[in-house]
Amino acid sequence: MSGAVAPLRAIAVTYRVILRQLVTTGRVIALGLIGVAVAVVGWAVGRSNEPFEFIRLENAVGVVSLVAFTIVVPVVALVFAAASLGDTREDGTLVYLWLRPMRRWTVVVGAWLAALTVSVPLTVIPVAVTAVLLDVGGELVWATVIASVVGVIAYSALFVLLGLLVKNAIVWGLAYIIMWEGVVAAFGSSAAKVAIRGYTSSILTARTGVELQLGDVSQAVGIVVPVVIAVVALALAAIRLDRLEVA
Amino acid sequence: MNAAININGLSHAYRDTSVLDSVSFSVLRGNCFIIIGPNGSGKTTLMRVVAGLQRPSQGEVSVLGEDPRKNPSIYKSMALVPEDEAIYERLTAREFITLAARLAKVADPDASTQRVLETVDLVDSAHRRLGGFSKGMRQRAKVAAALVADPEVLLLDEPLNGADPVQRAALIKLFNQLGDAGKCVLVSSHVLDEVARLGSRVLVIAQGRLAAAGDYHALRDQMDDRPHRILVTADEPRRLAAVLIERAVIDGAHVTDDSVEFNTSDVDGFGRQIAPVARELGIRLRGVNPVDDDLESVFRYLVEGR
Repeated sequence: MSGAVAPLRAIAVTYRVILRQLVTTGRVIALGLIGVAVAVVGWAVGRSNEPFEFIRLENAVGVVSLVAFTIVVPVVALVFAAASLGDTREDGTLVYLWLRPMRRWTVVVGAWLAALTVSVPLTVIPVAVTAVLLDVGGELVWATVIASVVGVIAYSALFVLLGLLVKNAIVWGLAYIIMWEGVVAAFGSSAAKVAIRGYTSSILTARTGVELQLGDVSQAVGIVVPVVIAVVALALAAIRLDRLEVA
Repeated sequence: MNAAININGLSHAYRDTSVLDSVSFSVLRGNCFIIIGPNGSGKTTLMRVVAGLQRPSQGEVSVLGEDPRKNPSIYKSMALVPEDEAIYERLTAREFITLAARLAKVADPDASTQRVLETVDLVDSAHRRLGGFSKGMRQRAKVAAALVADPEVLLLDEPLNGADPVQRAALIKLFNQLGDAGKCVLVSSHVLDEVARLGSRVLVIAQGRLAAAGDYHALRDQMDDRPHRILVTADEPRRLAAVLIERAVIDGAHVTDDSVEFNTSDVDGFGRQIAPVARELGIRLRGVNPVDDDLESVFRYLVEGR
């Protein structure tokens, strides 16, 4: 596209604008409190007097898998990623990014990076603190950090796309997290292959040795597939944005 | 001379409801064209389709020779001021305009931002967040953001909404200057009084169709020639109506206890004669009000001939 704004500049400007719109005190406090609550759970479980080391580790991995990867990571990613373009679409401000001489994919990437900038600290820090407070060793902490970064990258891309596909993306996103990632994926290994939680669980399993219900692929696959999911979701979001009727 | 905007057989529908129906027109560079029509007539949809925000169901849209839906680089040369109040509420006016400048590859975004802030008289409020702006100030900020890249084609959807009379006059003068400077300016409005000051070339949109197009003054004459209804409250409405009919000042009348609704196709003649005739008959006039001078009535006449 001749005459278009350079992609890096377009991404940077979009990123700054959307980040300013995303970061509201209410959102940060509400989601920060979820992180604090999760850390408190980690502290409480870490204080148990379980004498067997492996059972303590199993319990700790179970807690991280449950509270971090079924609640904190997907929900925080949903709130910011769905709002990044979804809110601008619904409140009418998308027009100010649409009517610019730039490629649509740069808008999508800028929005995704803005969502990541807020979501990563609000997920990785509390879940890492939770892993530390569970007090079962450094491997769980590293596994938690890697899995949460991978998870937030994939979920954010997926929910940027969702924000462009439907109105009330938060409701649809919560339904997806509860129904698909939480219930359907837990019952079938094929469904788990298309659930991001299956891959984050695999990273935890691979690094800690604790078997989890969905963690049946290698760490490498657990990292690569969510990244591929993110790239595909962003590409679809760019196509969707290009074809969007901006109301 | 190539048209800056070329619309050919444009139709647009939401689900099964037709919003625009076979609209065709061209706008040359250096023209300030006014789209007028009542609320809900399809003006905003037309603006949005021309801007590329919405895809036409049928027909072709070309701006500076390009289809905006297919070539976003056209937005270097085209800008839209949308009617919606939606704006980045957390940005200051200066940030909002600088953003538009940077995304339009303006050589010196800061200097250009300052220039347009001065143009729309927002320099003193430039540091304030847009969320705290009045409707009129938001409109001016949006106009400034549209002007910052010095576009060839400027689409302004109800740009005077919320502006006070002084700002309104300043903006009208600005739009006329842009037209004089060779820009293609397309402005929509539902207020007839604004139209005469905005320019001489108009497109009348009603019920999604192009009802009339051409010189405003010719159109105005056509509007003035239509039958008018005027409600007069007076002491003896029946006697007043009888004399006016006898003197062929009016075409017909509908009398009630203390008022009479006159039909006339010569509204100027009626205006000249009603007071002298009442004085001559010793009848006291308490009110003379047109009942069909609203925009909808004018459009009804233009579209449906009634």
